[in-house]
Amino acid sequence: MTDLPSPGRERRPGADPAATLAATGRVFVIDDDDIMLLSCRRILEKAGYRVETFSSGLDGIRRIEAVRPELLLVDLKMPELDGLQVIERVRSVDPDVVIAVITGYATISTAVDAMKAGAYDFLPKPFTPDELRLIVNRGHERWRLAMESRRLRREKEEAERRFITFVSHQLKSPLVAAKQYLDVLLFTSKGDMTPKTQEWLTRAQARLDEMLNLIHDWLELARIERGTPCEPGVASDLGEVVTEVVDAAGPQAEAAGVTLGAEIASEVGAVRGDRVSLGTIVSNLVGNAIKYNRVGGRVNVRIARDGQRAILEVSDTGIGIPEDSLPDLFREFYRVKSERTRDIPGTGLGLAICKRLVTDLGGAIEAHSRTDEGTTFVVRLPISAEAAPCDASAG
Amino acid sequence: MTNTKHVLIIDDDADFVRAIGDLFASAGYEVASASNGREGLDLAKKLLPDLILLDVMMTERTEGFFTLQQIRAVPELAATPVIVASSIYTDQPLFKVNPDAGWLPASLFLPKPVDPARLIREAARLIAAAASPGATHEGDNAR
Repeated sequence: MTDLPSPGRERRPGADPAATLAATGRVFVIDDDDIMLLSCRRILEKAGYRVETFSSGLDGIRRIEAVRPELLLVDLKMPELDGLQVIERVRSVDPDVVIAVITGYATISTAVDAMKAGAYDFLPKPFTPDELRLIVNRGHERWRLAMESRRLRREKEEAERRFITFVSHQLKSPLVAAKQYLDVLLFTSKGDMTPKTQEWLTRAQARLDEMLNLIHDWLELARIERGTPCEPGVASDLGEVVTEVVDAAGPQAEAAGVTLGAEIASEVGAVRGDRVSLGTIVSNLVGNAIKYNRVGGRVNVRIARDGQRAILEVSDTGIGIPEDSLPDLFREFYRVKSERTRDIPGTGLGLAICKRLVTDLGGAIEAHSRTDEGTTFVVRLPISAEAAPCDASAG
Repeated sequence: MTNTKHVLIIDDDADFVRAIGDLFASAGYEVASASNGREGLDLAKKLLPDLILLDVMMTERTEGFFTLQQIRAVPELAATPVIVASSIYTDQPLFKVNPDAGWLPASLFLPKPVDPARLIREAARLIAAAASPGATHEGDNAR
């Protein structure tokens, strides 16, 4: 090992590697052996690092709180405060510093303990200057990568947030304005229109709805993927949610000529999750059951309790799902393609949203279906014994 | 003096204002409009309309929220029904906003695009409720 990569050398061609390092490459060494400290300092300073040494763990920790070095080398065996204790305390004041342990009695178990406590690497004594530089360079690189990935993660989150705002407002606004014209026109002036005008405007209205629904579902999915919308420990009354969704879906069922019924077992009570998430699950399933039904058909929503789980069943007497489509059913943008589904509008995101929400809430969802007879979706959700009711709209 | 009801539409989307203005006009309302919060507030003070329809997110993202709070701070407008329409609001039955919540003291929330039949029905109901004592702020989004 003679040509070790100098930390920071890969960046900014033309920049002096040592100068780059001086801005960032700060290494602390904690060891009760003064000769160790001196030689570490010599070797690392020659490699371009800024080095501070401490013969006591407590002094080192105090200084770490103030300056935040990138790298810490700490001897495991010291009087006063031993290396493992130092690591634990350092971790609590600075979770970012990369720690490598120096150990004179290199046993696997102490090294394992050190790693468990949050060290990144270990260096058995005695070591050569090359070995020291290698460990330090590697640690420095690790620190740089951690900072880089954190920065990228932040940028990505920020970009996502901006994009979601953009989509929800800029992309929706023109659609909303166009649809509003059609809605008002068809409401106020239907009588003045030729049948063709009326039909075409109605079709244009439906296509705009399709796009708006797609944006809505896509945003919903993005919202879910950014984290469970409700705190863990939050619970809602499943029976109430089902009742509200079924009531709200009444007009849609009526328009489709479908009878909608609910059986709510009173002992179900509260399940994990906020009302909006649970409502989204139930209304997606109920909406599908109505859409993929037939005139004169039925949709039945049933909830019951099975031990520590609540069971939600949404069954329909609709067109059913071909067996070979069942495995793909919960995939994003997947839609069963057939002669009979062709004219049914849908985004292909509803079930993906359901699956994601159910999974986040610690539950499971499955589909049973027979072509031409109907489909039943079964959702199992954890009963919540102690969780407080959640009002997701508060604040 | 006829019994014509006045509605004020505050929205920065001219097309939305035109479509909804036409809807109210065809239902017999006198319509005024403003394209931003400040203009809307001035007009509301001057006209004292029977109903205000307000977009919650205009050019400035928070414009609608502040406009509504400023409207409520005017004594003559404190009880005027305000319908907040927004495309950020989704029509989920479980998405309830407490109408008394200080941060958005609206009478009713409607998602954009607005269902014309529902808007006309709710507008008439809210105006009637505001005219009679013991009026309720409950809209049909609070079933």
